[in-house]
Amino acid sequence: MNWKSKKSVFPAKSFGLTSILLTGMIAAILSFTAPEVLAQKKFSKTYPATKNIRLQLTNRTGTITVQGWNRNEVEIIAYLERPAANISPQNLSGKIVIDVVRDNQGRNEVGDANFTVNVPYSSDVDIETRIGNLSVTNIQGGIVLAHITSEGDVTLTNISASYVSAKNLIGDIFYDGVIKPEGTYRFVSTRGSINLRIPLESSFRLSATAASTRNIALGSFFSAGLQVVGTGRRVIGKVGNGSASITVTNQRGTISFIRR
Amino acid sequence: MDCGNFQILISAFLDGELDAVTREQVSLHMGGCEECHGVYEDLNAIVGFCDESFSEEALPPNSQALWCRINNIIETEVAPELEEERAAEAVPGRIAAMWHSSFKLSPMQLVSAVVGVALISSLLTVVAFKNFVAEPDPVTGAEGQPSVFDKVMADLGLGESPRQRNERRIREQETAIGYWKTRVDLRRSQWNAETRDVFDRNLIEIDKAVNEYTNLLRANPQDTISNEMLDSALKEKMELLREFSEL
Repeated sequence: MNWKSKKSVFPAKSFGLTSILLTGMIAAILSFTAPEVLAQKKFSKTYPATKNIRLQLTNRTGTITVQGWNRNEVEIIAYLERPAANISPQNLSGKIVIDVVRDNQGRNEVGDANFTVNVPYSSDVDIETRIGNLSVTNIQGGIVLAHITSEGDVTLTNISASYVSAKNLIGDIFYDGVIKPEGTYRFVSTRGSINLRIPLESSFRLSATAASTRNIALGSFFSAGLQVVGTGRRVIGKVGNGSASITVTNQRGTISFIRR
Repeated sequence: MDCGNFQILISAFLDGELDAVTREQVSLHMGGCEECHGVYEDLNAIVGFCDESFSEEALPPNSQALWCRINNIIETEVAPELEEERAAEAVPGRIAAMWHSSFKLSPMQLVSAVVGVALISSLLTVVAFKNFVAEPDPVTGAEGQPSVFDKVMADLGLGESPRQRNERRIREQETAIGYWKTRVDLRRSQWNAETRDVFDRNLIEIDKAVNEYTNLLRANPQDTISNEMLDSALKEKMELLREFSEL
């Protein structure tokens, strides 16, 4: 889902011949340069980290991409659209905190901040934004939280964590990862599709609610331990021994389970 | 002595606590300053009035007669109460007599009665316990159907019916939503057009969900799923307003 609409910034004016030529040359130069680069300011910082560090990032508007890597350090890169947001990361004991909302409180206009953060594989990740897409890849820590206050997609790929929570209002949620025994997994959306790609041998207690669309596709995961209740609006029950817990709620959208 | 010192010392002067020299100075100043003399006269009148009032209240005209009257009042009020208490103590005796005269049970009947009472009370306990401690859904954490106890209390008018409970909860949430909406209205003009668009679009989407589940609950107040969805939609709305009010 594209949450952002682009606008033209050049007003129409009448020009003389010289002005037209000059403008043409400038336009030619600009056309070879990525417009994002001109409009953006880059922020970059690297911190040494322990293996189980926690990243806590709260953004106003913009995307956040978090990737696990095989290094004991956290690398934060942000492209800040103008007027650029203030960013003051804090390196607390075992925790990297970036709060763009707090750091820019009271400012009238703040441009998007688009983050790419590399963290050790075993990190805990807690990211949120008011508007924008969130993406987390290759994380095997204990916790993965990805919350969008309004619209944007949440994409969690190759995740192996005991507590996962993904939430948005308008937008899709995609989870691709394992379901750990005793783990807790929550996916909540108001409108969009929630797709969960998990191993077939996963065992969990399930409560999946698509109250408006009644569109809950369990695919290969449908088993005798599950029952459809509330005139098709909810599926509850156990798959396997049901040691983990999965709660999926989509107010006005669909839910699908896909075999991994 | 100036007027400031006079005002500090006037209280002690009236109480007769000043030494002779200071008292003299105060009197001299008072003699030459019309304003301070006026203050003295006012305060003196107040102190005099208070002295008279307290002395009148402190000593009643005939204190002994007053105590006699109080004693009489107490005795006339307490005597009937004591009689009532004595009468109440006599009642269990009469009930016991009635019991012994009317309900003569054989040992077999007595045992049956005891077993019957035990059986009924344990059944009631099990049913009540099962209903009363009906735990929320372990997965969703959602409330289940109202217990028998709740239903009985609601029928007796001592508790809330499901409809009343829903309405109360919705009222509470709407109050909170109203608060955050005011905060958003204050900030909204500072947002850029894109943020305003996104906010409006999302608010409309939540309101659609709120309307949908409100209508379903009007038709069936016992619909737990719609109840949960409405609750969740209102929470989402509150969260959207709260978090955008920070921008």
